[in-house]
Amino acid sequence: MFDLTVIGAGLAGMLAACNAAKAGLKVKVIAQGLGALHWSAGTVDVLGYDPATGTPVSHPLQAIEALSAAQPAHPYALAGTQALAAALDEFQALAAEAGLPYAGAATAGENLWLPSPLGAARPALLAPKAQLAGALAGAPLLIVGLQGMRDFFPELIAENLRRAGHQARAASLPLELVTTRRDSNNVHLALALDDPARHAALGDALAALLQPGERIGLPAIVGLKEHAAALAELRARLGVPVFEVPTLPPSVPGLRLNAALRGHLQRLGVRLELNAEVTGLHAAGGRLTAVETATSSTRPRRHEAHSFLLATGGLLGRGIDSDHAGRVWETALNLPLAALPERTAWFRPGFLDPAGHPLFRSGVAVDRHFQPVDEAGAPVYANLWAAGGILAHADPVQERSLEGIAIATGIAAAREIVATRRPDEEVTS
Amino acid sequence: MTAAQRNEPGTEPVGQASSPAGAPVPAAHASLYELLDQCLKCNICASYCPVAAATDAFPGPKYAGPQAQRFREPGARRTPDHSVDYCSACRVCNEACPSGVKIAELNARAKAKIVQERGIPLRNWLLGRNEVLGRVGSLAPHLANLGMHNPVSRLLAEKVMGIAREAPIPRWSTRGTFGAWLKRTKGRRLKSDKKVVYFHGCSTMYYEPAVGQAAVAVFEHNGYEVIVPPQNCCGLPMLNNGEFPAAAKLYRSNIAKLLPYAEAGLPIVGTSISCVLTLREEAAELLGIDEEASRTVQRATWDMCEWLRDLHERGELRTDLCELAMLLPYHASCQTRAHRMGKPALDVLALVPGLDVRESDARCCGLAGTYGYKVEKYPIAMKVGQEAFEFIEDLGDEVEFVAADSEICRWQLEHGTHKAARHPAEVLAAAYGLYDLRKRQLVTKPGG
Repeated sequence: MFDLTVIGAGLAGMLAACNAAKAGLKVKVIAQGLGALHWSAGTVDVLGYDPATGTPVSHPLQAIEALSAAQPAHPYALAGTQALAAALDEFQALAAEAGLPYAGAATAGENLWLPSPLGAARPALLAPKAQLAGALAGAPLLIVGLQGMRDFFPELIAENLRRAGHQARAASLPLELVTTRRDSNNVHLALALDDPARHAALGDALAALLQPGERIGLPAIVGLKEHAAALAELRARLGVPVFEVPTLPPSVPGLRLNAALRGHLQRLGVRLELNAEVTGLHAAGGRLTAVETATSSTRPRRHEAHSFLLATGGLLGRGIDSDHAGRVWETALNLPLAALPERTAWFRPGFLDPAGHPLFRSGVAVDRHFQPVDEAGAPVYANLWAAGGILAHADPVQERSLEGIAIATGIAAAREIVATRRPDEEVTS
Repeated sequence: MTAAQRNEPGTEPVGQASSPAGAPVPAAHASLYELLDQCLKCNICASYCPVAAATDAFPGPKYAGPQAQRFREPGARRTPDHSVDYCSACRVCNEACPSGVKIAELNARAKAKIVQERGIPLRNWLLGRNEVLGRVGSLAPHLANLGMHNPVSRLLAEKVMGIAREAPIPRWSTRGTFGAWLKRTKGRRLKSDKKVVYFHGCSTMYYEPAVGQAAVAVFEHNGYEVIVPPQNCCGLPMLNNGEFPAAAKLYRSNIAKLLPYAEAGLPIVGTSISCVLTLREEAAELLGIDEEASRTVQRATWDMCEWLRDLHERGELRTDLCELAMLLPYHASCQTRAHRMGKPALDVLALVPGLDVRESDARCCGLAGTYGYKVEKYPIAMKVGQEAFEFIEDLGDEVEFVAADSEICRWQLEHGTHKAARHPAEVLAAAYGLYDLRKRQLVTKPGG
């Protein structure tokens, strides 16, 4: 019998599993597929834009104080800024331990503004150290791409950066420097750059392009398993700051973070079962006793546990699904959804409307202990918690708060679960 | 769960005893082509595909699967691109997909369409018929091994047939087939009210009869009488090589043979993880067979470790296990993971005192059915297998055995690491004191 079964293997689920396992709980993670980390830029976006005004945020934690007062149901308001700050520290320590250090702006507490794959400025509170030197204010940028690499266009990035008032220029190198494959995605390119001979060759070619005072932005493919060594070697060879610009998926920085967290889970003895689609549940006496997942047989697999954490993500992560008939539902446990607008009000007319889209604010409502509640505000199950993108009353796309909410609520929920574990439950096998 | 599977989303009664959220839906019954629409083109599958990482001959699951599928719609004249042939059918893509798209099955059907259009190469035809090969070779196993396992014939097989000369083709059992052993030991078999039907598969029959002997010993030790009914190849080698009509014949033949036992409520338990997957899901899904007889057999079918785990959860598994103090790497085969039943071998082996099982998280051993036997695919298979080989090698010289549920993985891991590979049932039989793991034979009990 497990103390805790986490449903979902994204940032919130894996962090919660790590936290609970470190506290001595026997934890299992089940997930339908690999999480949304693979689509993420690998940065920790905490709050980039004010939800009320749509204006850029410079100091996220301060802005969250105000946000929490105005929106008491917001996941950040439920967690509190102190818990958010502590959770971010815990995340940083965990990432550093796995050899993937994260850091913030030189002035603590300020958002970084980093170049996106289109050359726009993206706000993030923390970034992998490989992306830090791309912070936009500063030395002129040389954005270098590889000819024939998919979805990475240095000219476009540099032009957009120049339009925003930054000094930037672009260059392209032959793809053969990195690989002789005829067809590669970002992961294949990153794997190729694990090879010291390859990144040495790339370094030499970059040195020939470099003009005094410039720093170099490369697509985020500088090594996968040997990322730290590859980046350090490139920097040493060139003697100038080298940074990664995130790419379209598959996102190597997201993959690296996923691998780091999975490594932690493995070391902590957390079982991970993928391809596990929840198809049913068992409840008794107001408690969830087991969830069932589909197998190759018509017999479902039962996952019994003392506690359950739902961390399946939002619409993109498929914690929430919808259909053309206008139905929206929580996919794993059929929990009631809060803040669900009428079908005609799901979206605002503009795709990139600064106010976001109302549908994205819907999700599972939780109480102060991160337990899903029904319309009357009572916990749905006494031993169920929820965290991350599944939570209602936030629009992570508009706010640029996806990772911040995942980290803050994942760890907060794990702490609640650890705290409620009764002594008599500790001795069960 | 999809909305269609529910009555009223969001209205599940709270706190009601044993209330499933929705009727458990057999995953097999959602149409493959409906699932196709769920593909977001997010590329997670392409990031984890071990074959695409090893070679650019395969463009990756997203391209070969959901994206190319639109060119293979009914009515499309010819398959425009044959790179899907490089898919090894390991299903890592299915496992990674956050949207539940069955990419590997799309690819399998695409391969079948190519075979339908162009016919099947002799080599693939032959590789699909391992049961016939097994039977013929077993008539004179020493001769067959000598004939097949020498450099000259392997070179010939490579040049003429395209079967890689280094590939780990199994050796015919020289201690007789599993069937011969059963016949020989008929008088010694346990009689009991508790009965289990054993599906041994071709590899146990002709190449690794010891796996079957260990399984029978474990069943009997737990008080079960073992029924070994007539059975034939599950059809997986043919499915893998795109020969769907021939595979359907084999599948239906097995269903007919096993149906009476399933109808009688007996569990049908297999030691070959891939045969069990084929019987239970893969064949019916790929071949589009949805019949009551087939469903009845599917419901009754178990992987051996899964069945033992269930027995243990019911408190009925004997745990008089002696200490096996050793470090044992375990590789969960692609097929094990495709069952979506967790890793029952780990749960069962955890009961053995002193046994230090280490779980490999390698994606695939590389061999993937008959894939790595093919000369153009052998180097890819070896490259894919590196992850598993390195995991085992990194555990050091202390490792004597490795464990895997699939015979294919066992052969490939032995080939790649030179360590002896065993089925978890063999390890368990050894822990019961019934089996010699090194000699790969049953321990003769005093007076037995």
